[in-house]
Amino acid sequence: MASPHPLQPDLCSDHGGEHPTIWDLPNIPLGLKQEWLNLETRRHFLGRGAKALAWAGLASILGRSLPRALANESSSTPLLPHFAPKAKRAIYLFMAGAPSQFETWDYKPGLSSMFNQDLPESVRGGQQLTGMTASQTRFPVAPSFYKFAQHGQAGRWCSELFPYTAKVSDELCVIKSLHTEAINHEPAILSITTGNMFPGKPSVGAWLSYGLGAINDELPTFVVMISKMPIQVNVQALSNRLWSSGFLSPEHAAVALRSGSNPVLHLKDPPGVDRSVRRAMIDGVNDLNHQLFDRVGDPEINARISQYEMAFRMQTSVPELTDFSNEPSSTWDLYGPKAKEPGTFAYNCLMARRLAERGVRFSQVFLRSWDQHNNLPTNIKILAEDSDRPTQGLIADLKRRGMLDDTLVIWGGEFGRTVYSQGTLKPQDYGRDHHPRCFSMWLAGGGVKPGISYGETDDFSYNIAKDPVHIRDLHATLLHQFGFDHERLTHKFQGLEQKLTGVLPARVIRDILL
Amino acid sequence: MIFYSKSLILSAALTLLAFHPRLGAEPATFATRVAPVLEKNCTGCHGKDKQKGSLRLDTFAHVMRGSDDRVVVKAKDFAASELHRRITLPASDEDVMPSDGKPLLSSADILLLEKWIAAGAPATEPFDAPALALTPITSSAAPDYRPRLAAATALAKKLGIRLVPRSIVPTDGLILRTASAPTQCNDAVLAQLAPFADLIVEAELARTTITDAGLVSLALCPNLQILDLTQTAVTAQGLGALHPLKNLVVLNLTNTAANQATAASLKKLPSLHHLWLFGTPADPVSAKPAAAKAK
Ligand code: HEC
Repeated sequence: MASPHPLQPDLCSDHGGEHPTIWDLPNIPLGLKQEWLNLETRRHFLGRGAKALAWAGLASILGRSLPRALANESSSTPLLPHFAPKAKRAIYLFMAGAPSQFETWDYKPGLSSMFNQDLPESVRGGQQLTGMTASQTRFPVAPSFYKFAQHGQAGRWCSELFPYTAKVSDELCVIKSLHTEAINHEPAILSITTGNMFPGKPSVGAWLSYGLGAINDELPTFVVMISKMPIQVNVQALSNRLWSSGFLSPEHAAVALRSGSNPVLHLKDPPGVDRSVRRAMIDGVNDLNHQLFDRVGDPEINARISQYEMAFRMQTSVPELTDFSNEPSSTWDLYGPKAKEPGTFAYNCLMARRLAERGVRFSQVFLRSWDQHNNLPTNIKILAEDSDRPTQGLIADLKRRGMLDDTLVIWGGEFGRTVYSQGTLKPQDYGRDHHPRCFSMWLAGGGVKPGISYGETDDFSYNIAKDPVHIRDLHATLLHQFGFDHERLTHKFQGLEQKLTGVLPARVIRDILL
Repeated sequence: MIFYSKSLILSAALTLLAFHPRLGAEPATFATRVAPVLEKNCTGCHGKDKQKGSLRLDTFAHVMRGSDDRVVVKAKDFAASELHRRITLPASDEDVMPSDGKPLLSSADILLLEKWIAAGAPATEPFDAPALALTPITSSAAPDYRPRLAAATALAKKLGIRLVPRSIVPTDGLILRTASAPTQCNDAVLAQLAPFADLIVEAELARTTITDAGLVSLALCPNLQILDLTQTAVTAQGLGALHPLKNLVVLNLTNTAANQATAASLKKLPSLHHLWLFGTPADPVSAKPAAAKAK
């Protein structure tokens, strides 16, 4: 073993008979010890035989307290916010496939008189197009088929697609100047959920779980729900790479609740197995895992133990959670009748409120099919009708229960769409291609200023005219609302202080904060 | 509307003023708004006693004079002002102010300084300052939790609840957390928290089994700012016990027995900004007059 340090096998008298740990070795800087231990565990995990042996040798020399010391350094222990947080929890309504900004939140009245005119070359400025429209000979302007009207005390222009959401327009902060690098769904969704377009980084919810820990130990800190689609057009696959814990301890990954009557698979005890039998089984498995942990000290074993425990606790917490029978009748007035049907977006919005009430930090509700390359006017209406009422219901419900002030609600997709039509353009039928250079999202509650808009796009919503917000800035702002300086919420991995916002500059959008 | 809140967006401004005569009474000037921010965050190192970086920030004249090396406030142009650059750096930057790991300025304070500089950094004339935040839950004045944190954590564990720091700032206080097992938290548990009463700034008691006797214990938490009593068995009369809570900003009584009389008397709490009454006997009745007043 190429250990850089001479190891002392003797017992220290001042440790009351305990074996010394690597922390007791003199003259070695603390950071170096930590780094070395991390490397050793990592290598063990990768299954390199010789190193694993070296590790086992070290562990037997130093005794059982070595793995304990290591476990304390794992990413399971929650940190504390750097300053008092404004938000305690977040609900992210993720519109996967990327809704067009033109029909939703970036009203462009000037376009109505430009139907079918060519997008001026000066606007495009020679920027690259996607493979899907690059071969088009023309780039004809497609004005929104849907009309807008002013709503609320703030007089915000809202699309007729969202008559319900328009009622809570004064609660929203619409950001019109989001931008991202990725031009295709997979990298774009990864970028906005994990801060990086390559898989393997922790999701936003995992970072929050890592930083804040749980409010309620009986439920996961991070939950994902994928909604039934009212139509299925250009549907993107979603998988746990979008809500993984990356290099953080596995218990920070989301638990995905399934649609249907059995939200967590295999949670119910099979017939003939009662709770005490299940408890005994888990205790047995945990015992074996503890033994393994004591032998090899891999923190992932502890994560496994805590996942068994979580599953056991969820056996009692989930049935209560999914029992909507005690909801007052006003709930159904708010979310609409579809909220009674498991798996719908409406049901998931209500579930998100119930999760928030019970202290779940981060709920991410996905609704897919917004990728409208053609037939946009028809398809966007179907999705809006499916989601508008429960979205408003959620905001109004959080508000009346006094929860909106400390629950941040986020609505949006992964990028925007083009002003020009993809394919044939008719006034009532057109499509729009991907457009990462600007898109709109809204935030509500959680210490964000209500009733405002931030950022502006040019007359064609093609380029940003004022106050650009990179998705990194959105991430920095989100962490800020939870009490974290995004520069300091880090985890050491691959020799780097990894963070959600990566290495490029990111800023908190202070102008939108209360 | 079936909810009632003091913060109903823009319309709330009026109600808020009625509620809080001391907020917004004076025009925003250097003396009323800017100097207090500098005094709270900067003059300990840049004042009469210490002049770090040869800079004083304790009077208007000193601020405008700058340091021996440079002018730090460039009127009308905050982006070019050294003072602004220093307060907007990331915490990890060695130039950041306040230095030495002291808490950074809040976004509201930064915005305020920006507005003042953009308005030409006037000495006495009023400028267009952002309204004071509607949720004035700022750092509390709770005592330093560090010496007692281990004891508080141990006691909480024994009682089946949690006492967790709100942040790493030692005077930000502790949150009383019960969501893992709300039914375990009862009046007897609250009574045992007395040794840490002054540290508790927030109490999450929704769905717990506390009753009016528990409110008497809560009334002994002088620094309590946020109290959630959603779906507890507290009574309309019992809630009167909360009157000593001078620092209470948010009170959530959703699905409790609070009635109109309770609401009216609790609104007299000097710091209260949000009183939530959804699902209570006070709800439909009290919401209407408030909405009418706002219009
Ligand atoms: C804990 C002490 C401390 C506090 C509190 C503090 N500063 Fe400083 N400040 C320093 C020191 C030391 C220097 C000199 C070293 C340097 O330039 O970074 C300095 C330098 C500066 C300078 C640069 C002066 C020049 O021309 O070189 C500015 C501007 C400044 N501080 C602004 C502020 C502001 C604004 C605040 C309050 C928000 C503040 N400081 C709070 C210690 C402090």
